[in-house]
Amino acid sequence: MIDLSVNLSGIKLKNPVILASGVWDLPYREIIDFDRLGGVIYKGVSLKPKEGNPPPRLTETPCGVINSIGLENEGVMNFIEEILPTLKESNTAIFSNIFGESIEEFSKLSSLIRDVSGIEVNVSCPNVDKGGLLFGKDPNIVYSITKSVCNETDLPVIVKLTPSSANIVEVAQAASDAGASAISAVNTFQGLVIDIETGKPLLKRGVGGVSGPAIKPLALYNVYQIAKSVDIPVIGSGGITTYQDALEYFFAGSSAIQIGSAIFNNPLAPIQIIDNLKKWMERKGYKNLKELKGKYE
Amino acid sequence: MRNMPPTYRILPVIENRSLGPYTYLRIEDPEMLLVARCGHFLMVGFSSSIDPFLPRPLSLFEVEENSFSILVKVRGRGSDLLSKTREGENLKILGPLGTPFNPPESGVLIAGGIGIAPLYYQSGWMKSGKLFYGTKKKEELILTREMEERDFTVKTITQENGGTVCDLVRMNKNDIEGEKIFICGPWDMIRALKEILGEFATNAFVYLERRMGCGLGGCKSCAVKTNSGYKLVCQEGPLFPLSEVRFD
Repeated sequence: MIDLSVNLSGIKLKNPVILASGVWDLPYREIIDFDRLGGVIYKGVSLKPKEGNPPPRLTETPCGVINSIGLENEGVMNFIEEILPTLKESNTAIFSNIFGESIEEFSKLSSLIRDVSGIEVNVSCPNVDKGGLLFGKDPNIVYSITKSVCNETDLPVIVKLTPSSANIVEVAQAASDAGASAISAVNTFQGLVIDIETGKPLLKRGVGGVSGPAIKPLALYNVYQIAKSVDIPVIGSGGITTYQDALEYFFAGSSAIQIGSAIFNNPLAPIQIIDNLKKWMERKGYKNLKELKGKYE
Repeated sequence: MRNMPPTYRILPVIENRSLGPYTYLRIEDPEMLLVARCGHFLMVGFSSSIDPFLPRPLSLFEVEENSFSILVKVRGRGSDLLSKTREGENLKILGPLGTPFNPPESGVLIAGGIGIAPLYYQSGWMKSGKLFYGTKKKEELILTREMEERDFTVKTITQENGGTVCDLVRMNKNDIEGEKIFICGPWDMIRALKEILGEFATNAFVYLERRMGCGLGGCKSCAVKTNSGYKLVCQEGPLFPLSEVRFD
């Protein structure tokens, strides 16, 4: 009997596969059986609705995708009143991702959100002019935001980090010191695609965030560095499309994983990863995920 | 109209042939006929491939008892690979997607280039109408005979022959009065038509296309500016009232 359950500093998940924030919305429930997932993290919400960046907002890159959506969302009250009750129909752990342009906004957001398995703090979005990775690059700011969020809520707090910081381990340590229950690593990598017909960036905003298999080795290295340095669990993300990718993340020290843009390529990727992970563990004689974690030391 | 939930399936290509300058791909599927409606589109992806990474949004072109077809115009690497799919090869099909609609029994269709694809599908749900259709070259005009067989009056124009579909509409504006109008074509054509149609634009609807990541409202990429803010083509479209669409 294979046990896929994980415990992230008290957050209990039936399996380690979490649908990442920012790639899905409610219509995905018609394709992916949410009951099978370890958890889902809803797209980042801000205090007030944000209309997002002007299009084009996304284009393909080799083995991946670059986006500059700009955190389009209907605001936290819509999440609480409309989205959360619908998500609660599914038997999975639900997380809320929050985005603020100031420490006060993060505090306010975390005081409003209840009845979820945890709050993921977004200090890593590359596609906004205020907040986002501008906060996430600085360990002192990440410490302050995490501390204020932890003061406002009894819920577990997860901090989602950007690979753009000079020293991601230092930022992860700051989040841990401030009371975070887990680290999500990593958000997208800043990137650029130029339209050769115009000589200008293809995305209207210029810079965007790259995700997908193209970033996997880069993201994995970040996860490895963090996992060996901080005591709280790391939820690895970046380019995971198969169970083999997932295994690499566990061996590098991830306690759980997030599936993001893989669902554009194959909406069933999260479910297939769970099924194939289980089969692989059976074949190899592993009984639980703890036996895999951090094998590469 | 009740919208059936989409499905995600791996389906085989059973026919690949040229249709004018385009590639006609027919895909085996006994279920599409039961669920497909006007306004639906599909996300078509490459089987077991992470490069190209994204599926491509494509209109339904024909839906038959055991198959459906799509029309591919080669624009870049993805569409080039798609056009070279061999019979027996599999494609990832997510759909049908979008918000379907009931077309009128009769109306005016305005097509530019490959914009003919969803309008041809729509014509199959109508009893009669008028088609205004423009392409760059004469050999790019397809399906005119089939449209006539569907009781559509067909008027065509080519750029090599002196004009665009906008000119054609301008010359025949009297034929359009009081009719519901459906438009599919390049962005510049749509923008020009809004001006040419003037007061008739309130009766006009337009199929829009945008770069899409998922087709399911998840990635928020396919935003189009409307009078009431950004709307997602994959959720509230692909058909929009022309008067709602902003071109600034």
